[in-house]
Amino acid sequence: MRGGISLKRKAARRGIWLVLLVGLVLFAGCTGAKKEKTTYTFATWAAGEELKEFSAIIDKVNREAAGQYQVEVLSIPSDYYVKLATYIAAKKTPDFFWLTQELIAKYAELGAIADLTEMFKGSQVLTPDQYYPGVLRSATYNGRCYGLPWIANPLMVYYNKDLFDAAGVPYPPATGGWTWDEFIATAKALTRKAQDRHGNTYQQYGYIVDGWPNIETFIWAGGGDIIAENGVDVLLDSEESLQGLGILQKILKSGITPPYREVGSLGSNNVWFEKQRVAMFMGGIQDNFEVKIAKMPADEQFRIGYAPMPVGLDGKAHAFNWTASTVLSSKLAKSKQAYEIMEKITLEFFKWKIASPISGEVGRIVEIAPMKAAALETIPICLNQARSANYVPEWNEINHHLWLKLYNAMLNDPDFDYESQVRAIAAEARALIANRK
Amino acid sequence: MKKSQIGFLFILPWVIGFIIFTVFPIIAALYIAMTDWSIIGQASFIGFQNFRAIFADPTFYKALLVTGRYAILAIPLTIITALLVALGVNNDYKGIGIFRTIFYMPSIVSGVAVAIVFKWILDPTYGVLNSLLRLFGLTGPDWLYDPAWVLPSYLIMAIWGASGGLYIYLAALRDIPRELYEGATIDGAGWLQKIRYITLPMLTPILFYNLVMGIISAFRKFTDAYILGGAGEEGVFYMVYLYQQAFSFYKMGYATALAWILFVIILGLTLVVNYTKKYWVYAERK
Repeated sequence: MRGGISLKRKAARRGIWLVLLVGLVLFAGCTGAKKEKTTYTFATWAAGEELKEFSAIIDKVNREAAGQYQVEVLSIPSDYYVKLATYIAAKKTPDFFWLTQELIAKYAELGAIADLTEMFKGSQVLTPDQYYPGVLRSATYNGRCYGLPWIANPLMVYYNKDLFDAAGVPYPPATGGWTWDEFIATAKALTRKAQDRHGNTYQQYGYIVDGWPNIETFIWAGGGDIIAENGVDVLLDSEESLQGLGILQKILKSGITPPYREVGSLGSNNVWFEKQRVAMFMGGIQDNFEVKIAKMPADEQFRIGYAPMPVGLDGKAHAFNWTASTVLSSKLAKSKQAYEIMEKITLEFFKWKIASPISGEVGRIVEIAPMKAAALETIPICLNQARSANYVPEWNEINHHLWLKLYNAMLNDPDFDYESQVRAIAAEARALIANRK
Repeated sequence: MKKSQIGFLFILPWVIGFIIFTVFPIIAALYIAMTDWSIIGQASFIGFQNFRAIFADPTFYKALLVTGRYAILAIPLTIITALLVALGVNNDYKGIGIFRTIFYMPSIVSGVAVAIVFKWILDPTYGVLNSLLRLFGLTGPDWLYDPAWVLPSYLIMAIWGASGGLYIYLAALRDIPRELYEGATIDGAGWLQKIRYITLPMLTPILFYNLVMGIISAFRKFTDAYILGGAGEEGVFYMVYLYQQAFSFYKMGYATALAWILFVIILGLTLVVNYTKKYWVYAERK
């Protein structure tokens, strides 16, 4: 009997232990299982009216989520990148945030943003082939995609039809095909003494350069580039790049643009176009000259024409394109839900501003900005010509040298010996890239 | 509880704040200067590599030259200007308070606002300065657009804001015993002699203070330089260079090393000035 009781006790003890063990495993399983995140933050530099519109988009997405998840807006209207870096350093990285194209490579290199390539390719909603290729490249580094571009803003030539008519100069073709030589010749014909409505004489210029357009525009015009597509080779001092900078020097020496020291006197370069002091301006397709001019007094208004960028020495027209992308924090790299939310929000952004970075949506431009209707012949061409630089993690430093030591020097002194300076900057760029980890 | 312990309790909040917000950041900065930290990535300890890289970087020397040149000229200019203004308004004429207020106003205006206003004043085409020069038939320079005129542009701004130290000089001038001037008058001393033998010696402690503060302020010049820049690298002051490294190039370790070098420079100069004090600061003579 005793032995039986003892066996029963042993069995009971084993049973208790087993129950405890199973309980413990189940408990551990329950607590260890990762619950899908339900609240996300989205950092934006939007402020004022833009922030209201942005918040309305997020509210719409939240409503459609029906409680499944919630996206909260984190507005950083000033010092965006300094504050963003501070959030990341404090391990409080926003789940989604806007990132300008120049920083995609840097943030990717430092592991702050998620590689979206596989999810992007596997998506049934938004796929890489929908994007304009030049726009998508801005979110790509080392062949991997790190962001979903939500806007495209390639350059085009805005011109003042009234000034062209007054000078008897034919309009440039709305569908492109003009060369840089033709562009410069047109600008020369428009550079002349003119009179304002009060009879005062002033110098009218054909074009304006003051650090804008950026230096890539001219380097590409020669068929060159700053960094090669592989993100390693420096092409800045190639023959083609030097020829492109030769075009810039020709413009600066020809007198078709106001002297650099004078540009600031009107505030900024676009004001020269708005005040009819220059006849042509290279601006993004998003620039709202039409709205500004419509608000001017009737006798100050003028008619705007549009043309694509001139064709460079490589036989192609290159329209520098600025794009912002929505990126995903690297801590959510494996979250399918987070990617899907980001995709959903990005699709809403396409309906918000011009121009949508995906093809087949040109018609929407007039819905968003009806006054751009007259540019509809030109805009699709510019979108197909859209191009961004081959951004690398060292881009900001290289670009800083390009501005301070080259572009600024050329603007201050049109006879500046740019060739030797380009070689020096190229050597610095090579040294910086060689130090990349 | 002892009375002294109660005293410590009263200063405890400040001590805690000092440890958290001053001592800890200093120690952290020392460590960060020896890492390759980029703010948004992981930091690795790299010893003195940042310092070696800085001393091999021509831009560092250029920034140091721009700042040093500015400091050498701006510090005496601002001290002399403030002193002259203080001597000018150190009397009891009716309405002198208005002048004192006008002279002191630059020091209460935001640095950003000053920079923006000077952007217009120094505009080569429509700027106030060149317009005034044109009235006299002179052609003004391109100021911030001309590498040779960037430094003079910043010196003009420094002189404009020089009377920030006005009230310190005025207080010191009021502290000089009247009897000294009365005695000098009886001895037949003129205005210049009184300035030379009474006013200046009695002001030397304040001049010393303003010299030290001037060194610190000149080497830490940032706001207007960041906003206005200057042709090429002529507007890249040391602090602008440091800021660019930290927040444009994401090289926080490198920038922190730059901050330590700046600290050593300022400390060294302050020690030199402090050493010379016994030769020229009146109050310290025994």
